[in-house]
Amino acid sequence: MSQGPSQHLPTVGKSVPRADGTPKVIGTARYVDDLPAMPGELHGATVRSPVPRGILKSIRFDPNFDWSDITIVTAEDVPLNTVALIAEDQPVLAARHINHAYEPIVLLACADKRRVLLAKNAVSLDIEALPTVLDVHESLKNTHTVWGTDNIQKRYLITKGRADTEDSVSAIDAVLAECEVRVSGSYSSHHQEQLYIEPQGVVAWWDESGVHATGSLQCPFYVHKAFLKTFGEQPSRIHITQAVTGGGFGGKEEYPSIIALHAALLSKKSGKPVRMIYDRKEDIEATTKRHPAFCEIETGCDKDGKLRAIKMRVLMDGGAYLTLTPVVLSRGALHASGAYEWEHARIEALALATNTPPNGAFRGFGAPQTIWAIERHIDKVAAVLGMDPLELKRKNILKLGSVTATGQVLHTSVAGVECLEKARAVSEYDRRRKAYSEKQGRIARGIGAAVFMHGAGFTGSGERYLKGKAAVDLLPGGRLRIRTASTDIGQGTETVFRQIVSDAAQVPLSDVDFAVPCTTHVPDSGPTVASRTVMVVGSIVEAAAREVGDRVRKEQQASGGTFAEAADRLLAREGEVTSLLQYSPPSYIQWDDQHYRGDAYPCFAWACFIAEVEVDRETFEVTVTNFWSATDVGRAINPTQCRGQIEGGALQAIGWALFEELVWDKGIIKNPRMTNYIVPTALDAPPFHTVLVEEPFSFGPGGGAKGIGELPMDGGAPAVAAAVEHALGIPMDDLPLTPERLFARSASGAQT
Amino acid sequence: MAITDLELHSFVRLPTIADVLQTLADRHAASQKTVVLAGGTDWVVEQEMAPPHKPGAELPMVVDISRLSDLQTIHLNGNLLTIGAAATYLQLRRHPHIGMGDKRAALLARMAQDLGALQIQARGTLGGNLATGSPAADGVAALMAYDASVVLQSVRGERTVPITEFQTGYKKSVRAPDEIITQFQISLPTHYNWYWRKVGTRRAQAISKVALAGVAVVESGQIQRIGLGMASVAPVTAALRNTRSYLCSAPLHKLTGAELDAAVNSDCSPIDDVRSTRQYRAHCARVVVREFARSLGAPV
Ligand SMILES: Cc1cc2nc3c(=O)[nH]c(=O)nc-3n(C[C@H](O)[C@H](O)[C@H](O)COP(=O)(O)OP(=O)(O)OC[C@H]3O[C@@H](n4cnc5c(N)ncnc54)[C@H](O)[C@@H]3O)c2cc1C
Repeated sequence: MSQGPSQHLPTVGKSVPRADGTPKVIGTARYVDDLPAMPGELHGATVRSPVPRGILKSIRFDPNFDWSDITIVTAEDVPLNTVALIAEDQPVLAARHINHAYEPIVLLACADKRRVLLAKNAVSLDIEALPTVLDVHESLKNTHTVWGTDNIQKRYLITKGRADTEDSVSAIDAVLAECEVRVSGSYSSHHQEQLYIEPQGVVAWWDESGVHATGSLQCPFYVHKAFLKTFGEQPSRIHITQAVTGGGFGGKEEYPSIIALHAALLSKKSGKPVRMIYDRKEDIEATTKRHPAFCEIETGCDKDGKLRAIKMRVLMDGGAYLTLTPVVLSRGALHASGAYEWEHARIEALALATNTPPNGAFRGFGAPQTIWAIERHIDKVAAVLGMDPLELKRKNILKLGSVTATGQVLHTSVAGVECLEKARAVSEYDRRRKAYSEKQGRIARGIGAAVFMHGAGFTGSGERYLKGKAAVDLLPGGRLRIRTASTDIGQGTETVFRQIVSDAAQVPLSDVDFAVPCTTHVPDSGPTVASRTVMVVGSIVEAAAREVGDRVRKEQQASGGTFAEAADRLLAREGEVTSLLQYSPPSYIQWDDQHYRGDAYPCFAWACFIAEVEVDRETFEVTVTNFWSATDVGRAINPTQCRGQIEGGALQAIGWALFEELVWDKGIIKNPRMTNYIVPTALDAPPFHTVLVEEPFSFGPGGGAKGIGELPMDGGAPAVAAAVEHALGIPMDDLPLTPERLFARSASGAQT
Repeated sequence: MAITDLELHSFVRLPTIADVLQTLADRHAASQKTVVLAGGTDWVVEQEMAPPHKPGAELPMVVDISRLSDLQTIHLNGNLLTIGAAATYLQLRRHPHIGMGDKRAALLARMAQDLGALQIQARGTLGGNLATGSPAADGVAALMAYDASVVLQSVRGERTVPITEFQTGYKKSVRAPDEIITQFQISLPTHYNWYWRKVGTRRAQAISKVALAGVAVVESGQIQRIGLGMASVAPVTAALRNTRSYLCSAPLHKLTGAELDAAVNSDCSPIDDVRSTRQYRAHCARVVVREFARSLGAPV
């Protein structure tokens, strides 16, 4: 049987089953805690600070406890006590200064897991408490300096129009003063826990080849970098492997470096392999969460709704250490002016330190917080103007040729209007909006919309610096193997990459393998973040596959035989047939990092989400009864997975809006369990009506795919809030919209 | 600590109720700890949350009662409904006198449908719900609305306690260590109205912020008999005694919302915790009682 190119049936655009589906469903997939125990393996545990800020005076080990089989690691045992990330402010283990509750101080390991837990209770910490800063407003006052000299972890300023040429504050104020209609408001959003199904976990060991860590993680090379710094080992002596990973949502972007360092430190000291698996409580308490944000907005527009100017200040709570906060803040700032065109803009974004566990990467990466604010604000402007909010959005939406707040001219793959009109039509928005505006009974209905875009790939020149790489190898029998550090954490990378390779090399899908991401064997493709996996790494993989496929076919043309026979001849002759390529971003991208001006992203994905709700006006329970969306993904490589991302992301956003709330008491989390940190269940998921729009991006793989991972998290909360506001007639400017909060804001709540 | 890290307990499954009672009595006499396990949906979770056992500490012996068919039977004799303490919520939902068929005790099935989710309903039991002693127990609220009797048994004999007298304080009850709950007895009115409303944030796996179960017999415009049970508004399931007497005190059309609210307020003492607020719970308590009263014809 010959396998000429004519026989290849395209797989891109088809909803082929997930490559990882069967093993996960039948239970043969091995998550890190399923990996068989290694000989002599110990269990690791962490002693953490019970207070949010203080000076560690001493650590006492109960003399009545038998410590003979317990390995103890403290800050003194850490070769270089810093977690390598953007800054070097975070210690691997706190030595003296404690900056947040749950900060790790002592590590323990023992072969008997129960003994290690008992040992934890036998450690007491003598800490002198210091005054704390627990929110951004306090932090901004700088009464207590808890980070740097002024608590400010990062600041960005984006200016456009007059704010760009003159003194930005007085210029924007002058422009606003000239506008016919001015509206101002402030909007806040809260923490969110990723709540991936599988908590964080790692197994680490040392041997003659160096140090090894296998775990539940998104970015093996981040962990590699952290090991390089802390242990000072040769890069080739550090081996980081991704185990099957049960969800990440950003929560396994930077944090795994810490748990892996801890396990490796215990392993180094004990000389034994160490397994460290967090339980849910420890995971919720100690690991990163979404940054809370407080946004103030003032805008000016014409009476007919033409938006003119925006002045906005974003305050994000970075937590105790910098981690990835500058990047989160950047994405937040770059999405702050929404999907609309403004002549004049001044957007100032600040990240502030608090004595809470560091906030970090979470699907959307700062954008959901600022999109929450701008969408709520535009709805408010519409109310002031007496206009339908979706009509106002339609009037001002960015189009082909529009210029964004950073001065980026949108010249390709712009589908905002199309998404808006499609969602509006399928939801019968206009009819419902009108009908639900009539007088309501006990069960009030409402409908609301959010229009938004999300930049795909790294910001500005990020991809140019990063130089992501991926490889495709030829294997005997004409099989191909993808080697990349882009991980499948449940979002479907493996399946989609196989589809891209299958079509690019014109080989059957079943002939494509996906190598386990291990830093020793795969090239550094950059992290699995920023909606970049398919669009950026997918396009490298596509080019590499095409190259390998072409080489085999050339051999086939020259000397005949099947694809497999030609492949074997080529391998016999050359030993190794591999295409290792590096990403080169589209050449048009110009970015000025100094002034935050230029092409912030190579392209944007677009969407319009419309939520319909029912609100019980007595108990304030909210039910999302329908959820419509139209989302431009460029090209849906696997439509079912694409819908999965959109619906799952929207549900995660609905959870953020309606149910999820971390309850804090002086820096301590009161509800670190799944029974009281409430996420939506399958029964809470509304019927989703999902329309895929395909406005190809010419540099994307598979005929124009764009990033889709984060976008769906952006619009769910403002759409739901708009619907609740429509139903109840009470402004919904602050998240979350729990029944208790709605009740407190309502008239009946105000009376009690 | 994770459930998989629990210490190995000795676990027995005995053939008859009598064997279980004898074992409880013997072990109690010897000061040894024993746990009877029905669905395990409360007990296992409690173990997970407990601190690790000290080495050598005495572990309770676990006696599984979930397969004793005598503890699972449900039958209706005239108006007397008897439910075995180890009958599961799913059995209630599927029973021809409860969730199906003539639905004489439909309230129990409706409550069961809102309890946890299907997985919990397949294992959890009313006996476990009551024995755990949580004020948030949905099943206990429903049993209280029916003014059920609790049948307790030990080698010393059998006794029957009104459900309103079973709980004596937060997680405290009249049950002796060698006793088990064997069944619940409910005297069903021939015709009655019932009400169930759980307020709990999400549609499944929600611990009640407030739940109300109600049973009422109305004749010629007046409530002749009323039963109420409310979850999560007091240290124990609330029987709402003042509310009950107010509702029966006058013809329905003479009842007022303000007086009803006052009665509910006097019956509840909700608290602020991580799940909800005192004010919201108190408000919902009034809202659901009014809704029930309204459904019976009261102008509240
Ligand atoms: C995810 C989840 C969701 C839940 N949702 C709800 C909910 O919505 N509403 C609600 O009310 N509860 C809920 N629960 C709690 C629990 O499921 C119920 O309380 C259930 O009824 C307990 O019954 P069981 O048979 O599983 O008890 P078990 O765990 O077997 O036993 C609990 C306790 O009762 C004792 N016991 C059991 N049977 C007897 C008996 N016959 N005589 C004497 N003592 C006995 C045991 O010794 C033990 O101390 C939930 C639990 C989970 C894990």
